[in-house]
Amino acid sequence: MSSEQTALSIDPVVPVPPVLQVENLEVHYGLRRRRRSALNGVSLNVAPGETVGIIGETGSGKSTLARAVLGLVRASAGSIVVGGEDIGAYGPRQWRALRRRGVIQYVFQDPLRSLDPDLTIEASLAEPLILQGVSREEAATRVRAFLSRVRLDEELLDRLPGELSGGQRQRVAVARALVTDPRLVILDEPVSALDSANRVQILQILKERRADGVALVFISHDLGSVAGIADRIAVLYRGELVEVGAARDVIGAPQHPYTRLLVGSAPTLHTAAADRAERAALRALLHA
Amino acid sequence: MVRRVLALPSGRIAVVILVLIAFLAVLGPLLAPQNPLATSADTLAGTSGAHWLGTDYLGRDVLSRLLDGSRISVLGSLEVALTALVVGAVPGILSVYLGRTFEWITLRLADTLVALPFLLFAVAVIALLGNGITQAMLVTGALVSPLFYRVSRAATLSVARSLYVEAAVIAGASVGWVVRRHVWLKVLPPIAVALAQTIGVGFVIVSSLTFLGIGVQPPAPTWGGLLASDLAYLSRRPWAPLAPAVLIMITVWACNLLADAIRDVSGEAGRALVNHRKARANRLDKAEPAPAGGA
Amino acid sequence: MTTLSEKLHVQADESTVSADPPAPVLSVRDVRISDQAGDREIVHGVSFALTPGRAVGIVGESGSGKTLACRAALGILPAHFEVTAGSIEIDGRDIAGLSSAEWTALRGATISAVFQDPASYLNPSIRVGAQVAEVIRVKKGVKRGEARRQAIDLLRAVHLRDPELVYGQYSFELSGGMLQRVLIAAAIAAGPRILIADEATTALDVTVQAEILDLLADLREETGLALVVVSHDLAVVAQLCDEVLVLRQGEVVEQGPTRQVLHDPQHEYTRLLIAEHEQYGLDRFLAPKEDA
Repeated sequence: MSSEQTALSIDPVVPVPPVLQVENLEVHYGLRRRRRSALNGVSLNVAPGETVGIIGETGSGKSTLARAVLGLVRASAGSIVVGGEDIGAYGPRQWRALRRRGVIQYVFQDPLRSLDPDLTIEASLAEPLILQGVSREEAATRVRAFLSRVRLDEELLDRLPGELSGGQRQRVAVARALVTDPRLVILDEPVSALDSANRVQILQILKERRADGVALVFISHDLGSVAGIADRIAVLYRGELVEVGAARDVIGAPQHPYTRLLVGSAPTLHTAAADRAERAALRALLHA
Repeated sequence: MVRRVLALPSGRIAVVILVLIAFLAVLGPLLAPQNPLATSADTLAGTSGAHWLGTDYLGRDVLSRLLDGSRISVLGSLEVALTALVVGAVPGILSVYLGRTFEWITLRLADTLVALPFLLFAVAVIALLGNGITQAMLVTGALVSPLFYRVSRAATLSVARSLYVEAAVIAGASVGWVVRRHVWLKVLPPIAVALAQTIGVGFVIVSSLTFLGIGVQPPAPTWGGLLASDLAYLSRRPWAPLAPAVLIMITVWACNLLADAIRDVSGEAGRALVNHRKARANRLDKAEPAPAGGA
Repeated sequence: MTTLSEKLHVQADESTVSADPPAPVLSVRDVRISDQAGDREIVHGVSFALTPGRAVGIVGESGSGKTLACRAALGILPAHFEVTAGSIEIDGRDIAGLSSAEWTALRGATISAVFQDPASYLNPSIRVGAQVAEVIRVKKGVKRGEARRQAIDLLRAVHLRDPELVYGQYSFELSGGMLQRVLIAAAIAAGPRILIADEATTALDVTVQAEILDLLADLREETGLALVVVSHDLAVVAQLCDEVLVLRQGEVVEQGPTRQVLHDPQHEYTRLLIAEHEQYGLDRFLAPKEDA
């Protein structure tokens, strides 16, 4: 992992610190007998400008991981370092300060409910900027300038979210996350609720925006979308990271039985990565 | 929101009626053509030039009594509604943000207040503190406040748990920002609905109390009192109790109509309604473009 | 490691060579569906023939008319939608003049379906096992105890790990994949010859989706069930189906054997779908296998 980091840094003598450093993260819910472990010893680093895909299905803990990194859920053990700051013991005030610096942002899965239905698109897009202390006029200018980068039309600025299509709304959500020029954006199933054409468009936009130097953590259960955009892939299974590596390696030569099951389950057009018998065997292995 | 309510025909009717009633309350006593307390020999007369609505059993001008009495009824119902609003909505919104203990206490208080019969309490207060509608109305307001508590709490909760509020928090918003920017707009419509309804309820309460002769000294006219005094003469002059009854009815109806109109233009359904009307207007525009240069 | 489609193709070849071609169990001929309220034709001529043990896939985006076509075959078109041209035959019978009683007899016993959001097709206040048993009781006329036994057998047949336990659970206690299996169990309870799966795996995780698709393939092989698989995902259809129809805005823009459509797409829209998959799918990572 460190070799990848230095490969990305400009000055090989001074390694560039990762924009996100998660070390042995544990998150538990409930007390004593009814304790449920959502994450168990997860460690992951994200280098600046890198796109990491986290594959996880329902119950894998992927949303908990995102929420812990964003400070919406308290970690039970382990450390999280965001942009060089150890947020482990941060209280609400420190979190606000960190967030207002625009270091880290988030794109939700649901394009409809992540926008305030009573605020115009312009107001929703300007909100993170104004929270950072930017003046209203400057916020409006920056919002306007950003629109073309997410392929949105200026005339949508005065509309309410209810008047936009699902694909447009998700582009607004992506714009809202990127307009503050953050260093890290976490996306939790950003394209799962969209149809194919919109999905491809959003993925394309994200690919283009990587040129701004933002690091992306793309969480999804859809191996295909992640494979198309990620440099590295991490596989989350029942609260643990069972495999991490370059996208090509994880998909082309998966090691862990769950990864092999994942890769073997994704429907493909021309090739079949595994047949039914293989999948059945892998499932038996996992449930043993 | 005001504009949207006025765009609906029901909203317009309700607002017009209520504005008129408010007008009566403010200027009524001054507009009374005669002294409402002045008795005359001309008892139970029908409508005439001098007495537009006739006279009551003591020869007093009904119209003047109605106008004079409007102030008490309207003021009383406003007292109930505004007290309930303040006592209920503020803890309601705060209960979401001030921690578990505060939440628990306010919830149990609201439950307790709901169990108490407000009409009886109003009577009790007047019995204890003497005549004077205001005290009674304040107490009634407190007893009716759980409605505002529940409504504002529910609205705040649904907003507080929404994804867009989470997005704002992630961008660095404080609780104050979230309340000002997101919660407020969502809480206002349900509170407005509750307010309109409570004014209507307050009206009925004031009328009920004065009907029973409680709260106001006898000669002073009130709508409820008028209804009570003239009820005995229903067989001889049927329209005598009609005027105050109809006024009470219309006012309460207008309040509920306004509440409905506000409900129609808020929330999901409201936005759909606004969009629908916009789309219809657009279609009409396209079908018949406005004549150039003005017709 | 031969591919799934290869295996199936080999089987199909054997069956067509050895016996007379079986009569189609579902026959859709140039079906056109219109919306009477808006006076528009929504589906412009869909045709396919489904023989036992075969699977036909319909690929299209939302609004392409794929769901309407399925609903027409089930006799559950929404109000003011009508089949305005063409014919649909189930087991040789034209469904155009069927009465409500005849439809009731047909559904479940001859043609059945599972849809997208499994939770919404189950009553949340009744245990799921009872709901499957109800289908058995109604369609087969057996007594309660026997229905329960058969229901548990069905739950086992759809690869649910602990059928007795699942029988007694409520829908909110089960995951999406398990719920869909329960619904498949209910759908095949009366032994239908045709099963329509309309976006049946769309809301599910990818490994769970594979399990359900594998289950459908197993059912097909073991019981000769004919499948109509509807999806917006070309790959899902490609994995399971012998023949593919590509629907776009109500029109069939391409139709043919799966392998042929994928290797040699004629229509631009098909090519677009394939290109999207190649860009954002796993194909480019996986070692290309030999296609027979």
